[in-house]
Amino acid sequence: MTSYLDASLPTRSEHLWRYTPWSRVHPTKVDELPTIGEVVVESEDAELKIISKKPVEHGNDIARIFLDEVIQNTHVLALEHETSHVHIRAGGHAVAAHIHIESTQTSSVIFHLTGEAEWVGLWLTGNILPNSQLSVGLINELSSDSVLVRTDNWNVERDGDFELSTLSLGGQRIKSDIRTTLSGSNSNHRQFIAVHGHGTRHDDHHIEIHHKQPHSNSKLTLNAACDDRSHSVGTGALTIDDDAQHTDAGQIFRNLLLSPSARAEAIPELEVMANEVAAAHGAASAPIDPTQMHYLMSRGLSQEEATAMLVEGFLVDSFVEVRSTSVREAMQTRLTVHLECQLLG
Amino acid sequence: MTQDAQEAVGDYRYGFHDPESATIRFDKGLSEKVVRDISELKNEPQWMTDIRVKAYKHFVEREMPTWGNCDSLEGINFENVTYFLRSSNKTEKNWDDVPEDIKRTFDRLGIPEAEQKWLGGVTAQYESEAVYHSIREDLEEQGVIFLDMDSGLKEYPELVKKYFGTVVPHSDNKFSALNTAVWSGGSFIYVPKGIHVEMPVQAYFRINAKNMGQFERTLIIADEGSSIHYVEGCTAPTYSTDSLHSAVVELIAMEGAKIRYSTVQNWSANVYNLVTKRGVAHKNATVEWVDGNIGSKLTMKYPSVLLMGEGAHAEIISVAYAGTGQHQDAGAKVHHLAPNTTSNILSKSISKGGGRSSYRGMLQVTPKANGCRSKVVCDALMLDEDSRSDTYPTMEIGNSTADLEHEASVSKISGDQLFYLMSRGHSEEEAMGLIVNGFFEPFTRELPMEYAVELNRLLELEMEGSIG
Repeated sequence: MTSYLDASLPTRSEHLWRYTPWSRVHPTKVDELPTIGEVVVESEDAELKIISKKPVEHGNDIARIFLDEVIQNTHVLALEHETSHVHIRAGGHAVAAHIHIESTQTSSVIFHLTGEAEWVGLWLTGNILPNSQLSVGLINELSSDSVLVRTDNWNVERDGDFELSTLSLGGQRIKSDIRTTLSGSNSNHRQFIAVHGHGTRHDDHHIEIHHKQPHSNSKLTLNAACDDRSHSVGTGALTIDDDAQHTDAGQIFRNLLLSPSARAEAIPELEVMANEVAAAHGAASAPIDPTQMHYLMSRGLSQEEATAMLVEGFLVDSFVEVRSTSVREAMQTRLTVHLECQLLG
Repeated sequence: MTQDAQEAVGDYRYGFHDPESATIRFDKGLSEKVVRDISELKNEPQWMTDIRVKAYKHFVEREMPTWGNCDSLEGINFENVTYFLRSSNKTEKNWDDVPEDIKRTFDRLGIPEAEQKWLGGVTAQYESEAVYHSIREDLEEQGVIFLDMDSGLKEYPELVKKYFGTVVPHSDNKFSALNTAVWSGGSFIYVPKGIHVEMPVQAYFRINAKNMGQFERTLIIADEGSSIHYVEGCTAPTYSTDSLHSAVVELIAMEGAKIRYSTVQNWSANVYNLVTKRGVAHKNATVEWVDGNIGSKLTMKYPSVLLMGEGAHAEIISVAYAGTGQHQDAGAKVHHLAPNTTSNILSKSISKGGGRSSYRGMLQVTPKANGCRSKVVCDALMLDEDSRSDTYPTMEIGNSTADLEHEASVSKISGDQLFYLMSRGHSEEEAMGLIVNGFFEPFTRELPMEYAVELNRLLELEMEGSIG
């Protein structure tokens, strides 16, 4: 496989790196391969085994090539309970981890990412084996100065059901590249993302969903509320192969802009090579509806309280369709606590 | 036509060609000398020669575009293209004076008949230059200028100099640089303040020669409070080797003006159609692109509008039909640069027989553009399992007061609709044709009636053999 120092660096004409250049999320200088420490990964209710890093296909993506070289070990997560909680603590200058899950039953796992590290690399991979169901939630509450590079590779096999929820609240600059392949027939995938942009946060989510086999379904919802001078980027690449007949796939990107200096980009792409499919996407961007503001303020709420309530409603709505109760509640609870601190002091 | 060519292009109604009868034909290939020779031949002012040479140098240095289906552009051999071919020594104002063989071509395309019935003016371009041009007297009396671009440069050099390249500079992309270097023909229109041109004016572009490059340049200026509807149609004969059409169209709608630019592109399936079309809408002005792409091997065309003045509006309706061996990479770009600007984009595409249609769009709202509204709708129909449909929209929102929506869907023809029509006595093929015509109806209803009828007939022809 190509080594990082031999790999050609992406330019801004490449769609994936257009809004968040690789040089801005690399821990040092782009032509360097620095020493990266390990993130602390702990769980009270799941078994974590550390092995030499499993080989993962990097698909010529520069972030994956980089993480592949700087990460030495893989944390293999064995899910023994219905719901597992995993704490990912990122301390020090630059740290990274690779976490892998093999899902064989019905289970949920909630990752809680915290810490003050300047740079964090996180690579999540997993196989959802035939007939199994997995719901993953990731809550990002890194410190406000951190840079996060996240790459995900998920594979859903025949009759597998995979749910992925992301609550992105922390960090200064975030680049997430989440790729899911529906490689088995009758496989299902639902993905929910809520982003709260505040301060000068830059949060870039790139989501690829690839339907390879017939009767596979996917749904993606990304809601981003951007305040202050924050910037949200949502790019989706939905591909339906010619073998993936009878696929039903949809993507929706919503942006709520709360301040004149906030920015948002939405690029939901669709590539369809099968004809017996239902594929759709939508994107919308709007300010807070003045009618809703008026309604709440006429009932005695201050402007801040009314705004907080509307933002909370908008973001909580991202997770209403999460089927795993434990993941849904964890997401919604953390979101509510965060918004109370952020918007109402 | 050779058997290979027939297989490559299928049944194409306008695939006939006449014997080439050039009065001047340049050798294939492009060099600074070719660029200077074109300019000298046209007896152009020095400033235009300088722009051409500058653009040529930019073309040589510039990379291929990265926006669009760029891999397909590798098939273009710029050295195998004829960059200038003059088939008639002058532009005639009387149809009877047009050389017989060229006249026969346009007669077969129905141009003179259409002019008599419902057009305010006509330009017919054959290869590199206009061979026929006319405008209704009443429009001329009102001060409306409608000329082919070469005549426009000769008769109104100051006006052309003021606006040429201001909307699409030569440095915009590789193909705008190519066009600026070797442009020939196209239309030049100026509508004075407050004048409404009620009947559409039309340009018809025909490539006849093999390996021909057509590089027309169109510039339309609608002064304050005026309006005009410009219609263009394009066809080419069927050859087994490729031709190149790389036009640049610049529209300038001054305060309160309205320009509608309608295109029915029906090039044969051996033509690379790489066009840069852009309009500027000043305060309360409207620019509308009504764009139909039926033919060509590869079309890369994204009509765009810069909404520069408060209250300006953009309307883009685009339809594409991608048959066997075709890729219609079409779309729209709207840049909201001023407050309270609005835009609507409607894109519809059909893919059949292994064809590929793509919508590629850009919607941008800059930080100063308060209170903008925009809606983008993309619908795609897939008629068989070999075809492909893509949607690549981009929304860049830099203002919190913007209200934008985008929606897209890809599906096949609904079984319920087919059943409904067939239960009323239509064959499956007829039912499919009706549904396709209905699918394109938001586009056809915006065209002059004769064009709409023609488009429906074209679609029926393309749909033949869709079943089984």
